[in-house]
Amino acid sequence: MLVALVGNPNTGKSTVFNALTGMRQHVGNWPGVTVEKKEGTMVVDGKVIRVVDLPGTYSLTAYSIEEVIARNFIIEEKPDVIVHVIDASNLERNLYLLTELLELSPRIVLALNMFDEAKKRYRIDVNKMRDLLGLPVVPMVAIRGEGIDELKYEIIHGKFNPRRVEYPEDIEKRIEILSDKIKQIGLEPARWYAIKTLENDADVLKKLSGMGAKDVLHLAEHLRHDIEDIFGDDIESVMASSRYSFAHGLFHEVAAPINVGGTTITDMIDHVVTHKYLGIPIFIAIMYMSFQFVFLVAAPFQDAIDFFFNGKDVNGVHINGLIDLSYAWMSTFMPDWLASLINHGVLRGLGAVITFLPVIMLLFLILSFLEDSGYLARVAFLMDSIMKKIGLEGRGVIPLMLGFGCNVPAIMATRTLKDETERKLSIALNPFIPCGARIQVFAFLSYIFFPDNAALVLWSLLMLSIVVVFLLGILYSKTLFRGESQPFVLELPPYRIPTLKGVSIHMWEKSEGFLKKAGTIIVGAAIIIWILASLPWGVEYGSEESYIGMLAAVLAPLGVLVGLTPEAIISLFFGFFAKEVVIDVLYVLYGNKGAILASMTPLQAYSFMVFMLFYTPCVATLATVYNETRNIKFLLFVIGEGFLVAFTMAFLVYHIGSLMGVGI
Amino acid sequence: MKLSELRPGEYAIVKDLLGKGAIHQRLLSMGILPGTVIRVVRASPFGDPVEYEIRGFFISLRKQEASYVEVDKIVPLGMVPSGSVVRIVLIDGGVGFIRNMGSMGIGVGETVRVLRGCCPMLVQTSKGKFNIGRGIAYRIFVR
Repeated sequence: MLVALVGNPNTGKSTVFNALTGMRQHVGNWPGVTVEKKEGTMVVDGKVIRVVDLPGTYSLTAYSIEEVIARNFIIEEKPDVIVHVIDASNLERNLYLLTELLELSPRIVLALNMFDEAKKRYRIDVNKMRDLLGLPVVPMVAIRGEGIDELKYEIIHGKFNPRRVEYPEDIEKRIEILSDKIKQIGLEPARWYAIKTLENDADVLKKLSGMGAKDVLHLAEHLRHDIEDIFGDDIESVMASSRYSFAHGLFHEVAAPINVGGTTITDMIDHVVTHKYLGIPIFIAIMYMSFQFVFLVAAPFQDAIDFFFNGKDVNGVHINGLIDLSYAWMSTFMPDWLASLINHGVLRGLGAVITFLPVIMLLFLILSFLEDSGYLARVAFLMDSIMKKIGLEGRGVIPLMLGFGCNVPAIMATRTLKDETERKLSIALNPFIPCGARIQVFAFLSYIFFPDNAALVLWSLLMLSIVVVFLLGILYSKTLFRGESQPFVLELPPYRIPTLKGVSIHMWEKSEGFLKKAGTIIVGAAIIIWILASLPWGVEYGSEESYIGMLAAVLAPLGVLVGLTPEAIISLFFGFFAKEVVIDVLYVLYGNKGAILASMTPLQAYSFMVFMLFYTPCVATLATVYNETRNIKFLLFVIGEGFLVAFTMAFLVYHIGSLMGVGI
Repeated sequence: MKLSELRPGEYAIVKDLLGKGAIHQRLLSMGILPGTVIRVVRASPFGDPVEYEIRGFFISLRKQEASYVEVDKIVPLGMVPSGSVVRIVLIDGGVGFIRNMGSMGIGVGETVRVLRGCCPMLVQTSKGKFNIGRGIAYRIFVR
């Protein structure tokens, strides 16, 4: 048995999904697009039932991927039952989608979610609603688990005898004529196809002309003109009005408003957080505090994980970590190269993956909190006019800000952007935001080379990254990532208190996805780095004689152009693995801080940092880019743009600096 | 006038939608149809986008999108000061509500005199004097 969950965004659909499936769920992508597909199973009366959570939509037109996915799923997979999750406190608009669903399938269970909130606004006569619709209607409060058992019961035993959504007679007559014609060419559900053909639905028209059904198209055009003439308006408005009158009529039949009046809590909060002058400072303060919280909590865990795997140097004495110990132990009974591969390759890669976990989990904790509470929609409202300039909607600010923490969850968070082009643009820009690890390296190098102006240098790098992201955003959105300018109609839902269950499921889902998918790629890359650093046979790990050293030698002439020393190039190779390693490698290659200081002029050091600011992000970020887009060309593009921007910026800095005689 | 020309706090009724394609369909599916009442709630810090209330929920529209919505400005009876004489242009509610209002002489096209401002307000209709609470006073629109 197959059950599909359908509903508007912000109706608690995922809460219902979580309540039905518990932890028995799986998150993936719909084929060919980056829209999330959630699937799970539930067991009722010993029967295992597949549950698919369709993307949240307001209607089922052909204008957005989400809507096309939802309706194609219903037509092609023919779910046995559709659960339409409705925000009962916003009944009228939610019933609009029902009018479209009824054209696709008669087997619909209505889940009147947030019934407690709704009761404050109107008295809803659930029995009358059942009678009028001829469908099972289950009032529920999914957040507290109320009504879940009743919903499961109706999914199995519900009786479906739905009332048809009637259009005005002048339209009904024509729908019938057309659907007779469509039946002849074997399309089902014929009534739905007839309505969509009349409505000029791009997808359906394409399908029909693909089938060579010219006479159907011709007839439809004729009938459409009739309707537009009779009603004096375009067909889309006429059809939508008819559906809304159904929804409006039904709503007023079953719901009697209770006059509460006055200001709501949501309105009071919004008055402050979207305030003309306070709004943006409050947003920045919330983000700042979130980061403080993330790093405060994550740092000890990260240090502990790092210590566990890699050991630590205390006063010049190395305390062994798991890798050292296991390497020593394995060398006693296997060839040295194998022990080194297992430990310095695989195990080190695994360590790197796990080190990411605390930050990823916490950043997602924050993100789910912002999202589930309803604040994210306000951020979109606040920031839209700024973000619009770089081709993104207001929510686009969130992944960019998360990038300062870690690019991995930031890129995963681009899912909050609904438009495919905007998502890709946002992913392409994200690596240019320096993550916490890069900022750490900059802080360290700034203190060595610019002891008096370290803060200023660091600050200049952050500003540079923001300027570059902004300029590239403007450039990209006008060229490579030019979208069709999707309308940005954003709902501002009432504030709600996020549930622990919802937040933790979201956090777990994301972390699990990272571990499983990105983890494999990262370990693979760790092995490749190990091979490059250890071969040919017998060289010292990562030395100038290794393949990495040779590659660095080949690249040295290019490096000279931007002031990079061969050692700096080697360190950047390792930085591909994880940015914080750059410092360790410099130490290994130069020996001590004094030698590092002597190896470069301040200008070279600055150019080195500028290069590091923009060049290829770490392997975990690249793994995530691939994972989110499943597009190898796009991945290569991200690598390429990184090198190009890094080289250009470092070149400019180095040569303008040299000409002006600064820091030589 | 265009929806984008209204200021926060003002009300309007939708006359027509001008856009085509995605934006047109999107506005329709959010319930912005001819006859729908819209309240301008607030503008964002840079003036664009703007938050609107329709059918009891809240959405944000960019100026560009709001300019596709052709509206007529209306005033809720609740905002009319005492002493004014106004003509009712819209009653926002179901059949039952409209019938109840009609029995008090409050119907589309009728003229009423406001004897005391909101709320509760006192109005003089063709059928007598009536007290009207806030919840109702903001569902009757005049021009």
